[in-house]
Amino acid sequence: MTQIPAQGAIADRPAALLGDIRRFIEGVSTRRLDNGLDVHVASDRRSPLVACAVAYRAGTRDEDPAYGGVAHFLEHMMFKGAERFGAGEIDRLTQAAGGVNNAFTSHDSTLYYFTFAADRWRLALDIESDRMAGLNLAAEDVEAERQVIHEEISMYEGEPWDMLLRGVQAAAFGRHPYGRPILGTRATLDAIGAEQLRQFHRRFYRPSNAAVVVVGDVDVDAAHAAIAERFTLPSPPAPERPSPPAAERGARRVERHQGELARLEVALPTPPVTDPDHAVLRLLCSVLTLGRSSRLHRLLVDDQQLALWVSADAQQTLDPGVLGMTAEAVPGRDPGRLEAGILDALRELVDEPPSSAELARARQLMMADWLFGHERLEQRAFLLGGASALADLALPVRSMERLLNATPDELLRVAGRYLRPERAVIGWSWPEAGDADDGEPDR
Amino acid sequence: MTAGLVNAKDGRAATSNRVRLDVGPFSLHVEHVPGLPLVASRAFVRGGARLEPSPGWSHLTGRLLAEGTRTRDFAALAEDAESRGAWQQAFGTGETFGAVVDTVSTDWRWALDHLLEVLLEPAFPEERLDWLRRQVQAELESMKDQPDIRTHLAFLDQLFAPHPYGRPVQGTPESLAELTVEACASWHRRALGWGGCLCVAGDVDVDAVLEHLEPRFRALDAPASEVPVPPAPIDAERRREIDLKGSEQAHLFLGQRTVARTHPDLAALEVLGVVLGSGGLSGRLPLQLREKEGLAYHVDVSTAAGCGLDPGRFSVYIGTSARHLERAEASIRRELERLLTDGVDAGELEEARGYLLGRAPFRYETLRQRVELMAVAAIYGTRDDDPEWWPGRLRAVQLADVERVARTWIDPEKLAVTVGRPLRQPSA
Repeated sequence: MTQIPAQGAIADRPAALLGDIRRFIEGVSTRRLDNGLDVHVASDRRSPLVACAVAYRAGTRDEDPAYGGVAHFLEHMMFKGAERFGAGEIDRLTQAAGGVNNAFTSHDSTLYYFTFAADRWRLALDIESDRMAGLNLAAEDVEAERQVIHEEISMYEGEPWDMLLRGVQAAAFGRHPYGRPILGTRATLDAIGAEQLRQFHRRFYRPSNAAVVVVGDVDVDAAHAAIAERFTLPSPPAPERPSPPAAERGARRVERHQGELARLEVALPTPPVTDPDHAVLRLLCSVLTLGRSSRLHRLLVDDQQLALWVSADAQQTLDPGVLGMTAEAVPGRDPGRLEAGILDALRELVDEPPSSAELARARQLMMADWLFGHERLEQRAFLLGGASALADLALPVRSMERLLNATPDELLRVAGRYLRPERAVIGWSWPEAGDADDGEPDR
Repeated sequence: MTAGLVNAKDGRAATSNRVRLDVGPFSLHVEHVPGLPLVASRAFVRGGARLEPSPGWSHLTGRLLAEGTRTRDFAALAEDAESRGAWQQAFGTGETFGAVVDTVSTDWRWALDHLLEVLLEPAFPEERLDWLRRQVQAELESMKDQPDIRTHLAFLDQLFAPHPYGRPVQGTPESLAELTVEACASWHRRALGWGGCLCVAGDVDVDAVLEHLEPRFRALDAPASEVPVPPAPIDAERRREIDLKGSEQAHLFLGQRTVARTHPDLAALEVLGVVLGSGGLSGRLPLQLREKEGLAYHVDVSTAAGCGLDPGRFSVYIGTSARHLERAEASIRRELERLLTDGVDAGELEEARGYLLGRAPFRYETLRQRVELMAVAAIYGTRDDDPEWWPGRLRAVQLADVERVARTWIDPEKLAVTVGRPLRQPSA
């Protein structure tokens, strides 16, 4: 038999879970070194592991468009050797120590990380401090990595979703750098040489433009000491980041043909992640698509059976970004009805706020999802690194508090400002000609 | 009873925080993991695709569990779970079908009741079967849109058919069209008799959880029946090529069947895998193909991929430009010949072992990982739920073991090769 706790107990739960999130963030020890490097250390002894991340406040947004892709290219070259750890050494040592490493380039920042057993995690600091100071950038290594990135571009070009999202992103942002692919184009990739890589590294990869994050089975003071001992590089102040041109907003359609299924993205403008309205939009996204009881899942997947799945999320960006609503159409069903269903749902939110039951469910799911999504130390290090690169460590807590406390009037105001279908970029990836009997709807 | 546990009492085996109790054909596994106010729970029934008489039968049966029970429809089940912030799902894999409920730990009683309702009282509603069938057929179409997956499916078919490991667990559009709710209900009934496990990890009192679960399984009336035997693979062809529409890249798989999860060679094969590249970019194959020749972004290596109750596979994958296909295959073969001729040196062995030992704690980081490992231990009869067991096996591996398993399980003359070749010419 199902046991139903008192309604009050369930209703109070999001606030209790927020307490867990707040305790984690407030438990982080933050210091700034003399050279401007931000350091964040959190002791978390649930596993005998330590995650170490370094976040640089530089990404695709900071590139010269003629060398589009240089931020991502540099991310690859960061594994190709510096003064102390030569080509191949970083991966060999990581593997031998039983660790993992990787890196991500976004439009706004670049993040590198290692996770090691707690008795050897300082190797991550040795590697990061070495490659922050400078890179070898040997000509043959640059050429070999250029070929690898050409293959990476080919890999994404074979994926219908990647190509659709890229097309919509370009249409949504125009000349703003968020409209450019992070990998660059084949032409801009070929234009990048060791000199451009070195310049980007010299300008942005300096202590005053970075944050080191350590989360795991560590003594906080000892971790701070280990970091201060290694990151001694003098640093000029953090560079001014470019002021990109404003995004060219307005309704547009993007249509392409690839694959065997019809795929849809509806992209709407959002404020920067630091704007209080951003968290409210994330809550509205959850009302629409988080869980099987969400509005659009119930309507478009389970009831009308028009979509295999439907999803919505607001990009967390430094400049105004987009909220993307995506769905994969069921073959043989009218995809026009799928698009109309999503746009109608947006209009409903503009006209009327979600019910209290919908809000309570969305909040419950978001808080529990957050905890399950941040069980691993590495995920907690990404969270802190990302927050530090985009704003400050308190950003995740502010965001959670905001989405827990937003009133119906505020939801209505935010929906009215950002979720208007007439401002959407609508992108379709249709089946390739002759693939299926469920192509575009008649229009 | 799981070996290596202490404090056995009343038919239970336990460590200070982990308990296993066998009840008929099912085993119950509970671990107290403090730290976060969460609980993960999973039920697994030994009725996976490897036993099914028709493709997709088990997977569809599993997914139908969440589509309605004797007392509630799918929407009521979802609403009940999500209004508490709980995440529920039903599934079917190669070895098992079952269900998942993850939630905050104060709700553990509710979570287990919900899980048991879905597992033991499914209604298999006709109208939900129609929709689920259509969904699964579309998911198969969607998989075909990914050129690497399309090539991989052809590779699995080549290596394993007619064994079920050679096909997607979702089945085929044709086999799905023939499945009925009666067939799914019948499969569910039969499979309960073959047993399975229920695994719980989180901030819970293990004794209270067992006391809650045990009577339900004691009362379970699931008649035993003969367990089917899956058909053996047939080596039909050595080389297969498929055409890929809309792909810029060619995709190449080479491989051979190797060992099941319980095979004594598994630990040495895993060490060999790291030497070759399963541990990252510094393995022999990624080093040669990506780092030295720049042929690919991804080079994947595994020596026992997909191993379960039946053997898995040694496989090497590369996605590369079509004009580099022959060169890539030649490089892979050269590295494998070098392995068989020159063997592995002691430094490589120690680095590979160091990698796997260092990775061992990563396997137990999350509650979801812990319940999955409990299930691995229960379903395969291993001790993967014990964090000390796998490192012990790795430490026992000698250089001679690695070289022997290489010679035993990798034969370049017998490799199955699958090539997915783009119809469209690459743009650069």
